Amino acid sequence: MIRGKLVDLRAPEMSDLDRNTRWINDREVTQFLSLRYQMSLAAEEAWMRDLVSKPLSYDRPFFAIETRDGVHIGNTNLFNVRPAVRHAELGIMVGEKEYWSRGYGSDALKTLLGFAFGEMNLNRVELFVYDFNARAQAAYRKCGFVEEGRRRQALYRRGAWHDLVVMSVLREEWASAG
Amino acid sequence: MIKGTLVNLRARELTDIEQSARWAGDEELQRLMGDRYPQSRAATEASMRSYVSRPLSFDDPRFGIETRDGVHIGGLRLMDVSAEDRRARLAIIIGEAPYQSRGYGSDALRTLMSFVFGDMNLNRLDLDVFGFNARALAAYRKCGFVEEGRRRGAQYTRGAHHDVIIMSILRDEWAAQQAAGEVTR
Repeated sequence: MIRGKLVDLRAPEMSDLDRNTRWINDREVTQFLSLRYQMSLAAEEAWMRDLVSKPLSYDRPFFAIETRDGVHIGNTNLFNVRPAVRHAELGIMVGEKEYWSRGYGSDALKTLLGFAFGEMNLNRVELFVYDFNARAQAAYRKCGFVEEGRRRQALYRRGAWHDLVVMSVLREEWASAG
Repeated sequence: MIKGTLVNLRARELTDIEQSARWAGDEELQRLMGDRYPQSRAATEASMRSYVSRPLSFDDPRFGIETRDGVHIGGLRLMDVSAEDRRARLAIIIGEAPYQSRGYGSDALRTLMSFVFGDMNLNRLDLDVFGFNARALAAYRKCGFVEEGRRRGAQYTRGAHHDVIIMSILRDEWAAQQAAGEVTR
């Protein structure tokens, strides 16, 4: 358990399956994620069995986000972890919509960054966010992420082209922000 | 065979193994490509065998670059091809030193662009290039690629972090180039 202020990060469990399946089939949630197609319970179950069957590790840091009173509200992970560069990409989903825009996602991000820099000893954490996802961009900025560029028309959603905004936070920026 | 001005793009063949293994073992080329670990001849051969046994397709197009008189000088590859987003990322190597900095790579890129936009019907072609690779940056700019961001310290080699520059060209930009006759093909 990695403790934050509003949330804790814990290992994913098979008991998360029904919630995860509900979230990734909710288009209000997936419009901001690289998930276009609906997911069957069986496919999600197979994916989760694989995920929970191995210990969390440097290569697979995947966490469930839980409020301090034990409500599972989303997931966050690091992927494409590159040890020589000490770099990883970050993904986050707050699936329970009543917890949106109330600081839970930001607290999960800060908690994960604390782990990424303080325990995994990374130097850089990066993410790509859709240009129409203003709420997420504000949260990332609040957590110290800096915009580094825009991949023009790299995304087609909702019948139109969109930019992918490239953001990152470096270790020294995280350290100086306290 | 996709015909360019100085070069043609063709399917990769088992007979490319000799050169591919040599390029993969070249320290400077490795640094520019972002490869870190030396590869055995057997590993290079196994990946080549598995690749050439499949037909080229939308999902994983790779080409050998040949001069018009049939000298194999490099390779080109598209990665992360997305059908929905109609985009792909490219990687190119000109492995034969006498053909570097003489327009062969740029011609291969322009030939690839005409295939990517004109035949695969993509909307965006992008690439990541290390900030220290001045020769490649110049070639990409010459071909119309636009710098759209700088991933700070996203590569580590020879004892230091280096920026990775994101470049891309959109279908409209390529079409305008064609219309303006900036590209002599």
